[in-house]
Amino acid sequence: MSPWIRLLVYLVAAPIVGGLLAGWDRRISARMQSRLGPPILQPFYDVLKLWQKENVVVRRSQNYYIFFFLLLAIFTGALFFAGSDLLLVIFALTLAAIFFVLGAYKASSPYSFIGAERELIQMMAYEPMVLLTAIGMYMVTKSFSVDEIAGHGRLLVLALPGVFLGFLYILEIKFRKSPFDLSCSHHAHQELVRGLITEFSGRTLAMIEIAHWYESVFLLGWIYLFFASMPVLGIAMSLLVFVLVILVDNVFARLKWQTALKSAWLVAAVLGFGNILVLSLLR
Amino acid sequence: MIGFKQSPWIIHYDASSCNGCDIETLACLTPLFDVERLGVINTGNPKHADIFLVTGAVNEQSRDVIRNIYHQLPEPKVVIAIGACAASGGIFSECYNISGGVDSVIPVDVYVPGCAARPEAIIDGVVQALGVLEKKQKEMTSLANSLDQALYLRAEKSDAPEILALQKTAYQSEAEIYGDDSLPALQQTLEELQTEFDRPEQVFLKTVVNGKIIGSARGHAVQDTAYLGRVIVHPYFRGRGIGRRLVEEIEKAFPNAKRFEVKTGHRSERNLFQFRQQGYEQFKTEPFTPAITWVYLQKERP
Repeated sequence: MSPWIRLLVYLVAAPIVGGLLAGWDRRISARMQSRLGPPILQPFYDVLKLWQKENVVVRRSQNYYIFFFLLLAIFTGALFFAGSDLLLVIFALTLAAIFFVLGAYKASSPYSFIGAERELIQMMAYEPMVLLTAIGMYMVTKSFSVDEIAGHGRLLVLALPGVFLGFLYILEIKFRKSPFDLSCSHHAHQELVRGLITEFSGRTLAMIEIAHWYESVFLLGWIYLFFASMPVLGIAMSLLVFVLVILVDNVFARLKWQTALKSAWLVAAVLGFGNILVLSLLR
Repeated sequence: MIGFKQSPWIIHYDASSCNGCDIETLACLTPLFDVERLGVINTGNPKHADIFLVTGAVNEQSRDVIRNIYHQLPEPKVVIAIGACAASGGIFSECYNISGGVDSVIPVDVYVPGCAARPEAIIDGVVQALGVLEKKQKEMTSLANSLDQALYLRAEKSDAPEILALQKTAYQSEAEIYGDDSLPALQQTLEELQTEFDRPEQVFLKTVVNGKIIGSARGHAVQDTAYLGRVIVHPYFRGRGIGRRLVEEIEKAFPNAKRFEVKTGHRSERNLFQFRQQGYEQFKTEPFTPAITWVYLQKERP
């Protein structure tokens, strides 16, 4: 498939797949709590409703940041699925997250402020492992290009088991799931109200939701990359990892931010860096 | 419209309930009743909620909280009073500190009876609220669609509370420009506004759509000069010529005035642009606070 067609498919299909995944997430979570759960299409209903609601803001400029967050979240995935440079993808990913944090800061409410601060800490926690993942993939395939990594003949996960596990760990942080739902929890009645997204409503909140859909498709795409030489296994593993994330979300209580940060760096150092060290020694 | 009926997000507030109704309300979220199957989310954040559930009667301490939460809910919104106390004050209605049911503070759309209200009744109340929510959403859309039928009328003294609320909403954007919420327009009290109605040669105009005031302007004449002020339009309906029309209408309201004068802040580009478009010219400036300099504009009647 040419990169342009892949890009087009991503732009159209990602929000649909992402929304269905979000609906599936809520459904599975409900079943794990022996509830019936909402319909699979629930996230789409939510976004449609939010789109028609009044947009209450503290400062109108906070909405522009969220618009750019959405734009860059789409851009990140677009770069990835068009087969561009993995380092550029990471850069765009970070920029998107920064815009989100800026939006929350702009709202100047204590809840979104602490949410933004915690989000920065979470970014600090996952960023090293994200970079190590890209480096690990480079070590095996000798390329940062997503196209060439995907076209590599061998299963990457066999050479990078530690990096894969480390990436799973930070995936929990990136999805903002328990035990790392510090900056904004999916569940009501937490100490930060809704943390990062407290001050957003209406259309802006819908944009955040859509950005998350794009983001989750992109992140699962990265999981696929570990199994790219066997596409069916890749897709199956991506979905399996998603279920694992939900399971962990339902099983664990929230950690303190200190523990989150320390453990993420420890995982990056031991699993990520250790794996890369072994790779370079074996050569 | 798809969406509103499938995704009611609620916020629950305990005004002064004995906790009976609260426990029944939260019971709705448990596996047995699981209202999430209807798309209900208990948000805990008024800015994300559509439905405001209140339990218990209103007392001195909860009155302001209820009002505050209500105003933070984005439109369209619905209020459900749960239980006998929230409906009428219940057995506490004659207590010295109880002002009555929730409807003594904010408009209530659905009443759920019971002491305590049963979870089934609460779920039924939420489902009925969805109908109200959809109706309100339609009204909101029709409000935006019938702007060309807006009426420009003289405001009455009884309109003062609504105009003041609008003024505070409209001036938020000004407060943002100057980074200062101590603007006189934001500090005005209801009494002050009502006394303005009693001034001689004072004209108050309002823009009414579907019975709601979405714009207002005022002015008073001293000899040959009419001083215009506080041309306000609800943020939703800006950029559609309502402010321009208000200025035209208020100029007509002073048939004997030879000169019109208006002042605005030096950084309020939108206001300055609009007044200049309508033939006003700057003739002096005057420092007001370190952040704000008043710009005075005038226009001679041709």
